[in-house]
Amino acid sequence: MTYTTKDYKSSTKPSWCPGCGDYAVLTALLSTMSDLQLDPDDTTIVSGIGCSSRFPFFTSTYGFHSIHGRALPVAIGLNASSPGHNVITVGGDGDGFSIGGNHFIHASRKNPDITYIVMDNEIYALTKGQNSPTSHDTVITKVNPYQAVEERINPIMMALSFETSFIARGFSGDMAQLKDIIRQAMDHKGFSFVHVLSPCVQYNNKITFESIKEHIQPVPKEHDVTDRISGMKLVFEQGTYYTGVIYKKERPTLEEKLDEVKSKSNKKDSEDEQIQEFIKQFM
Amino acid sequence: MKNLVIRICGTAGEGVISSGDIFALAVARSEYYVTTFRSFPSEIRGQGQCSFQLKISEEKAFTTGLRPNVLIGLNEQAIADNIHLLRSGGILIMDSDEVQNTYEESSGVVKYRIPITTIAKETASLIAKNMVAIGVMAGLVPQLGLKEQLKKDIQKRYSKKGQEVIDSNIRAFEEGYKYATEELKREDNLASISMEKSGQKMIMSGNEAIALASIVAGCRFYAGYPITPATEIMEWLALEMPKVNGIMLQCEDEIAAIAAAIGASYGGAKAMTATSGPGLSLMSEALGLASMAELPLVIVDVQRGGPSTGLPTKTEQSDLNMAIHGTHGEAPKIVIAPMNVEDCFYQTINAFNFAEKYQTPVILLSDAAIGQRKECVDKIDIEKIKIENRLKYNKEEDKGVYVRYKNTFNGVSPISSPGDKGGAYVSTGLEHTEFCRPSSAPEVHKMMTEKRFKKLETAAQDFIPAKTYGPDDAKIGIITWGGTTGAVLESVDMARKKGYKIQALYPRTIYPLPDQWLNKFLEGKEIVMVAEANYTAQLLHTLVYRLNKINKDIKLFPILKYNGEPFSAREVFDKVDTIIREQTLRYTIFEPEKDESYKF
Repeated sequence: MTYTTKDYKSSTKPSWCPGCGDYAVLTALLSTMSDLQLDPDDTTIVSGIGCSSRFPFFTSTYGFHSIHGRALPVAIGLNASSPGHNVITVGGDGDGFSIGGNHFIHASRKNPDITYIVMDNEIYALTKGQNSPTSHDTVITKVNPYQAVEERINPIMMALSFETSFIARGFSGDMAQLKDIIRQAMDHKGFSFVHVLSPCVQYNNKITFESIKEHIQPVPKEHDVTDRISGMKLVFEQGTYYTGVIYKKERPTLEEKLDEVKSKSNKKDSEDEQIQEFIKQFM
Repeated sequence: MKNLVIRICGTAGEGVISSGDIFALAVARSEYYVTTFRSFPSEIRGQGQCSFQLKISEEKAFTTGLRPNVLIGLNEQAIADNIHLLRSGGILIMDSDEVQNTYEESSGVVKYRIPITTIAKETASLIAKNMVAIGVMAGLVPQLGLKEQLKKDIQKRYSKKGQEVIDSNIRAFEEGYKYATEELKREDNLASISMEKSGQKMIMSGNEAIALASIVAGCRFYAGYPITPATEIMEWLALEMPKVNGIMLQCEDEIAAIAAAIGASYGGAKAMTATSGPGLSLMSEALGLASMAELPLVIVDVQRGGPSTGLPTKTEQSDLNMAIHGTHGEAPKIVIAPMNVEDCFYQTINAFNFAEKYQTPVILLSDAAIGQRKECVDKIDIEKIKIENRLKYNKEEDKGVYVRYKNTFNGVSPISSPGDKGGAYVSTGLEHTEFCRPSSAPEVHKMMTEKRFKKLETAAQDFIPAKTYGPDDAKIGIITWGGTTGAVLESVDMARKKGYKIQALYPRTIYPLPDQWLNKFLEGKEIVMVAEANYTAQLLHTLVYRLNKINKDIKLFPILKYNGEPFSAREVFDKVDTIIREQTLRYTIFEPEKDESYKF
């Protein structure tokens, strides 16, 4: 059978506000899954907590709406123990870079074959508007009513320094490019990180579709995606968000490494024999 | 005499622990029962003092006993710290090169001064002191015939270090043996020791027993973060899990470890993580997720002294409250506490079986003392072990829409795993309907809370009833759990010999603890003591309301120890004795029984 975009949709209507950037990401992902003809029963979308993390409820695939910040380790456990199963992880900037920031580093080290899409609205929206790790210092919220006291982090720079094996930035206002990026991320063998600028229409009026459009530019054609240093140079440029694939270099995945470990272990022909061997070890 | 207790002590780095390990292994392979206890500092080398105690016996022993027959001290401090433990009529062996004090004041003790350091230097090198010591230990009881087995085990232990190291260690061992058998003028009574061999057996630590059992139970995914005193579980599985095509994944912290195990369980694998108190603290939020999402999961807590970083290498039973109540909200889970090394194996099997059958997290509460010590285990017969698996969703049978969280009569609903056709659902930590849609409707939360707890009621029917030890008509009862059990059971025997009639109750499943176990036990009891290694009487506090409800006149007393070391039977008995005397109640005094071997 052939799967259409509709086959990946659940009967639950998204709980997002009208105009939220996350709708575009949902549309782009469902369309990519249909392009790739992924079997919904062979696909799991894992998320943490936040507006964007409600994502799995809106799809017909397997889903795991876990706890705040822990989507990546849950996804890694699933990925490592279910070879060949498609695992996609989604979440927001608070979930991925604040409470779950540590896991992003180590997911990059492990390089599981997982696509991780972060919908960055530069605000905590589910809790009704507090400063997030990517908020601009001009954003005044109820938790920083006078001014921001922290610098914002740069997710792409983080990913480059952790040597995430695929790094791209997209924008909810550019569907064609977003689909292309997600497609490339899903095709990538290893941990692929897609940072999506996805405005919140309710709690962050500093970052709107219009304001983002003013600052984005596609990654220059001559950019070498295998060169981390030139990726960093792009990211350092003030005032411009480059969108598109910024870095891409395949290396052995977690699954491949774990298979290597298994083949290096000196195992018996059958599991039963192996267990008897374990018993003998203690005699 | 049918048993022998030896204690060897020295400074960290002198090889006390490894000599004890080799000796215990050889004893087990010579077909005697052996149980051990080790104490070591968290520093690898330097100032800290180490000790290793082992009991060799004809029958399976509950503990190593408190008082050794033989104390070997490699330096002055080691002897100063331990000499008070030595039995009267016992033997003190001093390294005469290191120890100046002659311990004249210790009367009733046989003293041997042996130049252990000199022998080591002359036959091998300074670091072979521990080999000389085990040579002496074996030479004190040549009738047990340990010499050849010890040589084999020394050879095996150092096989990777080359022939030269093996040879020099064996030379040192043989010189020690020769000194004890030929040069020592014996004034002790160890010649009266004679023990029958009791057949082939296994020897392992509690941590090894848990790791081995996890694989036998079908666990194929382990995620963990290193932490004393649980790390051996992870290390053993790192080496062995790949041989059964399983996965051992080292994670960045305990939160990631439990999250990965939850992800693997969602994927259909039997999954485990192991940690100690600080790690369990970090895991508690995710533990609630496993409970809410109804995913099977085994979490091992090898308890150490707390709070905070506490005493990494010391033992305590102080995580019970956290294990039972630790997660926010009301998250049903099962808590099991093994009583000794052998029990670690079988309770781990139970833990996986319960987790799978009832789709819930199970916490296995071991402790540093059990986890680290080596002990004999009767040969494990894999054929006799029953393995349970989760109730799987079946597309053919469950026609129509799949209802993941169906509120069934026993609370258990069929579960699908990614890849199962027609079984797609969204697992969530949010309260949800039977169809796994988020809901905060009052009737939904009420129904689903009841559904989740119904599984525990169902599970409780399935538990192996708590065992008792001692006469049913005893008016004095003592309840205990986990690592304190051995000492309590031995103290019941001591009490019997003194004329007290006491019965012990020792559940291995601590939560939920079925009413009927307590009802039956409380029949005819006037006093109930609860023995455990913590300050706040954690088990007693979880039971006090229920015990008083069953019998409002029952007198309850805690028996506690919280210095980082496990209870000895003598300590339990002394506290029992004090409580009984202070109570001035009348007890049935009966003739002490000589021997009543116990089967469990």
